[in-house]
Amino acid sequence: MQHDEEATARRLLIQLARLGDLVQSLPVIAALTARDPHRSLDLLCPAPLADLARLFPEVGHVLKWNGAQWHLWAESFVGEFQPARLREIEQSLAELTTEPYTMAYVLNHHPRAILAATLLATEVQGPNLRGPLDEALSPWASYLRHVAKTRGSNRIHLSDTFCGLCGVTPPSVPPVLRLPSMDLPGDLAEVGISAGQWIAVVVGAGDADRSIPVSVWTEWISTVLAHDSPCAVVLVGADRDQATALAIQDGLSPMIAGRVWDATGRTTLPQLAAILKRCHWAVGADTGPLHLAAAVGTSVMGFYFSRARVHETGPYGQGHWVWQADRALPEAWPIQASVKMIRESATAPHQEPVEGWSLWQSHHDEWGAIFRPVGGRDPQEDQRAAVWSELREQRPSMQGVQ
Amino acid sequence: MNSFEANVSRLAQSDAALAAAIRQSGGGILEIVPARTGMPSARTNGRWIHSAYDPIKEAQAWAESQSYQEGETLVVFGVGLLYHVEALCARLPRTAPVVLVVSNLSVLADAAAARTWGDWIERVSWAWGATEGISEQIADAGHPLRLVTYVPAAALHADDHRAIETALQRRAAAQAGGQLRIVVVGPIYGGSLPITRYAVSALESLGHDVRWLDHSVHATSYHQLELLKNSQHRLALQSKYAEMLSRVTMAQLAEDPPDLVLSLAQAPLILPALEHLRRKKFLTAMWFVENYRHLTYWQQLAAGYDFWFVIQREPCIGALKQAGAKEVRYLPMAADPSVHHPLELTQAEREEYGSDVSFVGAGYANRREIFPRLLGHDWTFKLWGNEWDGATELTSVLQRNGARIDTVTCQKVFNASTVNLNLHSWAGTGLDPDGDFVNPRTFELAACGAFQLTDRRSLMSGLFSESELATVSSPDELPGKIAGWLREPEQRMAMAAQARRRVLAEHTYAHRMRDLLSQIGVASPDRIGSILRGARQAEALAATATDSFPSLASTLRTFPSTQRVELKQLAAQIRSRGSMGALSREDLMVLMLDEYRSETKDLV
Repeated sequence: MQHDEEATARRLLIQLARLGDLVQSLPVIAALTARDPHRSLDLLCPAPLADLARLFPEVGHVLKWNGAQWHLWAESFVGEFQPARLREIEQSLAELTTEPYTMAYVLNHHPRAILAATLLATEVQGPNLRGPLDEALSPWASYLRHVAKTRGSNRIHLSDTFCGLCGVTPPSVPPVLRLPSMDLPGDLAEVGISAGQWIAVVVGAGDADRSIPVSVWTEWISTVLAHDSPCAVVLVGADRDQATALAIQDGLSPMIAGRVWDATGRTTLPQLAAILKRCHWAVGADTGPLHLAAAVGTSVMGFYFSRARVHETGPYGQGHWVWQADRALPEAWPIQASVKMIRESATAPHQEPVEGWSLWQSHHDEWGAIFRPVGGRDPQEDQRAAVWSELREQRPSMQGVQ
Repeated sequence: MNSFEANVSRLAQSDAALAAAIRQSGGGILEIVPARTGMPSARTNGRWIHSAYDPIKEAQAWAESQSYQEGETLVVFGVGLLYHVEALCARLPRTAPVVLVVSNLSVLADAAAARTWGDWIERVSWAWGATEGISEQIADAGHPLRLVTYVPAAALHADDHRAIETALQRRAAAQAGGQLRIVVVGPIYGGSLPITRYAVSALESLGHDVRWLDHSVHATSYHQLELLKNSQHRLALQSKYAEMLSRVTMAQLAEDPPDLVLSLAQAPLILPALEHLRRKKFLTAMWFVENYRHLTYWQQLAAGYDFWFVIQREPCIGALKQAGAKEVRYLPMAADPSVHHPLELTQAEREEYGSDVSFVGAGYANRREIFPRLLGHDWTFKLWGNEWDGATELTSVLQRNGARIDTVTCQKVFNASTVNLNLHSWAGTGLDPDGDFVNPRTFELAACGAFQLTDRRSLMSGLFSESELATVSSPDELPGKIAGWLREPEQRMAMAAQARRRVLAEHTYAHRMRDLLSQIGVASPDRIGSILRGARQAEALAATATDSFPSLASTLRTFPSTQRVELKQLAAQIRSRGSMGALSREDLMVLMLDEYRSETKDLV
């Protein structure tokens, strides 16, 4: 009987942040499924990301959170609060689920995610200890807040802290997003077909201060395409990145422009994932597409600067590379060195130091992701085991809607 | 049975008195002419009331352009051949009440004879008879009201319709109990600055939550720009400065969006800002307390404001509409009795500020030309105010060497003078031949209980009677009138007292602001009108929530019953229960909505 109840219990994972966070939720999905393989797990994510989320392994239903509609409702209530209009909202919540979920796991320390969980589930596990109006944090949420303030010594990856928030340990093997075959628009169908290395360049970033300058990309692409062996570059990004992609192409020699494909703003998220999968490498700043590339199994090389930290949000998986700047705005970029690592991969483990940057490679063990420096020792002691030991004992939960 | 008999018999079933009155009326106002489609159309005095091509299609297009919110009563002005009423009934839900205003029964008789009405006619209520009676019938039809006008037909009885609308607005004003959140945007400097202060004070006295965006704090910087000798630089920088203040205003509005943005003349809000506000669903109004002939910047702003209030009637109203203004209403100047009132003066003050004849104001051309005629008589004359440079003839009577006179001094002069001259400014000689609006001074002097002799204005008769104000119609009359009034102390005092009573009864800024809000309320029944009716108050909201959302209703009942409650206050009340308080499903929805609301409107 007990077993039957558990089998019918419905679980909901809530991730209302951006593409990068959604992709970095794959390990917690794998871990939750591994812990309770017979209990279904649905996912609530922003509506624009739902098509991609439907490709996630182990996820049952994908529920679309329509933030734009909530904005419209909120605007319509300003100055003229009308209780009757709540019926429309009630209806939309009922369309998400007619019966409350048994448990909702919340990955965002944001009131909207916590409120959504409390609306949709009878029990909630996440950043808050005792309901949406309580400011007391769960042990893992407190740890994350501490890390956000002090940074430095943390070696637990965001994806693994998601696991901690949900009361599970990281998956023993990094999950891989397997894609169905799909058509690509126009000339993009050629991506990855011809011989040689295909490199996806993630041209933009969500915030301007996290974007790699156009001049750096122009030089990087010119350098990589100047190499003797066959190679092609695919510029990837969203609509808003199209101007950047054009600027990059304007700066390239006509001699090499024929080996550059511009996919910015031309793909759905599943198609973007497919393009990244067809490439041998993906290069870029700490962005959603970079994490997506890692998730589909493509080798990733990240340039981390501004607020990006390799240990927190480096590409998840084995064998990815991250150049970490030692200042927010780098004065010089490791263009030659990074190109050499891609074009002559055997030289990568012996990479010479580049001033202003450190080079890290991703590994995976029982505590999840860990990045180790190339050509030296990590000056920080790996305290992941101790932190997990201290925090995982507690699995606090709060009650959802009455 | 012909159309007339069929229609009137049908009408008799719902309103026998109206049917009988139509039979008596005789008709003959409309000329019925077949349209190209073969349907009857109509014209009067050579003007078409309905399309000469396809009156049905035209009426449908008109009906489609009308707004309607569930629960409202639609009041239609304009009868014609009722094509538009038929189209409106077809477009609206069957439960929507439609009231047709019938100002002239003969028009309805012509309509009855022209074509046979369908079943839709049974959905129409008829408001007919005398103006006051019609407004009562409309008011009885149920609230909220939305007034719609089919202009080609309504133009036949525009005066009647205006009177009915005014009566409805008065009713709305009398019933208004709700509190609006109003932002008043004032000028950087100038004559509309004190008016802004009075308007703010009046709105507060009516119980509204008022925020004054006072740009006079920027006056010093702005005046610095006036010192620039290069006019190109000066104009460019002044324009940039106004644009910057416009953005400041937008940022201030974004922080706490009001129900209504009320600008006074010279408010630094430029057209793109106003257009942006409209896109963001802000309701805006401008009280243009200027002579539209002298200051013409309204041409650039006309389309920007949702409502214009002006101190002149036609052709001012027509000119604004021509320039793109949608709603233009007449709203004359007024007085603030808390500022302008009778004063007990000391003997020393009487000596300093008193005279037989006085004038306070700036040295406009017409005043410079007229006032020398007042010298050399057997009365004392004191001239107060600035901008009299070069008026050497008047040096002997000019007080304080032509310094600017503040409000308190003005008030003392008004109270101490036997005859206060009030000559409206004009750039020509003599009196303004097109003088229409009545200046604030007229109301201020009256509010002080001070006797005034003023130049006659075409709009004066609607505001004051001849027993309240003494007037002249030409400069030549002035010396004789002054001498005459100086000899009539009792009549002077009686007129001044009567004028003061009139101002207190009808012409304070509180009256004006009440009128302004009720006019906006009637024109936007679902927004301002709804708030004024108290529909946003805690008790009213709780009543609507009781059945479907009982927990929300009980939260709403924790507020004082007449307090206006919005999403923000409701969410704060829910949060105030603390972390251990139980949250219902509707509480959670309210908290979620408030999370999305709290993102600042993207205005800047």
